[in-house]
Amino acid sequence: MAGFGLAFRIGVELVAALVVGVGIGLLLDNWLETGPWFLVAFFFLGAAAGVLNVYRAASGIGLGPGYGEPAEGKRQAKKDNGDAPT
Amino acid sequence: MAGPLKQFEVNALVPVELGGVDASFTNASLFMVIAVLAITFFLTVSMRRRSLVPGRWQSLAELSYEFIAGMVRDNVGSEGRRYFPFVFSLFMFILFGNMIGLIPYSFTPTSHIIVTFAMAIFVFVGVTIVAIIRHRLHFLSFFLPPGVPVVMAPILIPIEILSYLSRPVSLSIRLFANMMAGHTMLKVFAGFVVPLGIIGGWAPLAVDVALTGFEFLVAFLQAYVFTILTCLYLNDAIHLH
Repeated sequence: MAGFGLAFRIGVELVAALVVGVGIGLLLDNWLETGPWFLVAFFFLGAAAGVLNVYRAASGIGLGPGYGEPAEGKRQAKKDNGDAPT
Repeated sequence: MAGPLKQFEVNALVPVELGGVDASFTNASLFMVIAVLAITFFLTVSMRRRSLVPGRWQSLAELSYEFIAGMVRDNVGSEGRRYFPFVFSLFMFILFGNMIGLIPYSFTPTSHIIVTFAMAIFVFVGVTIVAIIRHRLHFLSFFLPPGVPVVMAPILIPIEILSYLSRPVSLSIRLFANMMAGHTMLKVFAGFVVPLGIIGGWAPLAVDVALTGFEFLVAFLQAYVFTILTCLYLNDAIHLH
């Protein structure tokens, strides 16, 4: 079931960024009345951000978006377990 | 028979209206109050005796304290110590909200996205404020990773900002979807028990028993995931890059 949890977490990361991108695009279009252009642009930006989130989550860099270096203890724990906690 | 989604209905227990806004005391509010009272009761009563050799309840309280203290120390470092009260309250509230929801006839406040989103946006705004106070304008370097060619910046910066903004969304959707999916599944299988009768009803009942055990795991795991991601975001904010 650990694999299921991981898959679900990563799926959520992908969708969340897309939702935020589309939301911002729609808001900007509503506000500036610029047709579908912001929606289109932010859809692709959101998709890219989603893929970036997934890449970071999967490679265990801070377990999510961001570049935070793990704190000292965490680094040690990672060395000991050889795996990041899910 | 009640539908599987009936359990998520919010009913106003004490209708209140504040300046045209519906601020009723609902069953969701009631179970959040119950969760807070249960945590307060659990921590104060179990620590009342303060014996050197802890009893069962005292070990439980100490265990939860040390669990979160260790998580903050490992993931944020010693500078995270001042945020411990917040992280501990967050963990206990989500854990108790999830666990109380598993009692039959109760309500799960964490299965509502507005509750989880409120917590997630609080974490997000708080973490951003911490980062801005600590790093001032250096905070903006968060959106441009070191070693990136300047040509890439116009594309990369919006992507990074979107990725940052998606944090509260993914944080809240994860907790809400897990709780809601689990509870719906329990109810769907429970709905098969009586119609299938005494011969066939055992199969969905057995599934429900297994799922209940699994739900306890999910309830704990999701509280843990929410808390550890909060710690990681705090770590990001305190040690940029």
